[in-house]
Amino acid sequence: MNNEMLIQLLAAFLFVMGMLIVSLRRDTIMILMGIELMLNAANLSMVAFSKASHMIEGQVQVFFIITIAAAESAIGLSILVNLYRNFGSVKTQSATTLKG
Amino acid sequence: MSVVIVILCAIAAVLAVTMLFAKSPITSALSLLGILILTAAIYGLIGEHMVATIQLIVYAGAIMVLFIFSIMLLNLNNANDDYKRTPAIFAGSIVMGLGIFGFIAYGIKQFYAQDAAGRTLGFFSPEVITYLGGNSKVVSHALFSQFYVSFEVISLALLVAIVGAVVLAKRKVD
Repeated sequence: MNNEMLIQLLAAFLFVMGMLIVSLRRDTIMILMGIELMLNAANLSMVAFSKASHMIEGQVQVFFIITIAAAESAIGLSILVNLYRNFGSVKTQSATTLKG
Repeated sequence: MSVVIVILCAIAAVLAVTMLFAKSPITSALSLLGILILTAAIYGLIGEHMVATIQLIVYAGAIMVLFIFSIMLLNLNNANDDYKRTPAIFAGSIVMGLGIFGFIAYGIKQFYAQDAAGRTLGFFSPEVITYLGGNSKVVSHALFSQFYVSFEVISLALLVAIVGAVVLAKRKVD
């Protein structure tokens, strides 16, 4: 077991944890943080694979992913502010207008 | 296998578990901040300096400030009605997650078992990167020559996201 394999295992673990946070927590801000954690895990995996196969395309891709993550969190947090303004809470069970 | 990386990975894994089970959002946000900084440290230790710097500035700097600012602004405190799932669903989700982790770990093991014989390696070996002037120089050069169009398009996407965030968060005037 070498460094890169350990980093890949950490990336897999962080991804699974992010997935569990998205599916188990009921706070919208926790769901957004879980998405960030999953993106970070994907970045980690991509950098380790790019290092292992002697390429730099993976690192350039990580740069783009970080940019998209910044855009996504800006949009997500402004949606969250709107949610709080309209329902008085950011829990997922409070936004039930479409439930019928 | 370097001892420092093992320690960093262990701390990051513990922080991820903390993030899942913490009651208050601010604890989770600080755990996430720790994970991002540790990830940047791992990037730096394996020699990817450019990505480590961007990770520190953009992720641990900008994005986490946004998150913590939102938590403070909306006054999100302890979540009382969080975790209203039944224990069966909770345990089932965690077992499912560990199963997915097992599958990914098996795939990683298969990938590293075939080792260098079955893999085609690219041009940028560590020696070549040192010869060309270091990781930051090589990655930046690729970013501004080979991936120039993608760079411009991504800056446009960021601009659209900024305008969209301002429009969404603005108080309605009517």
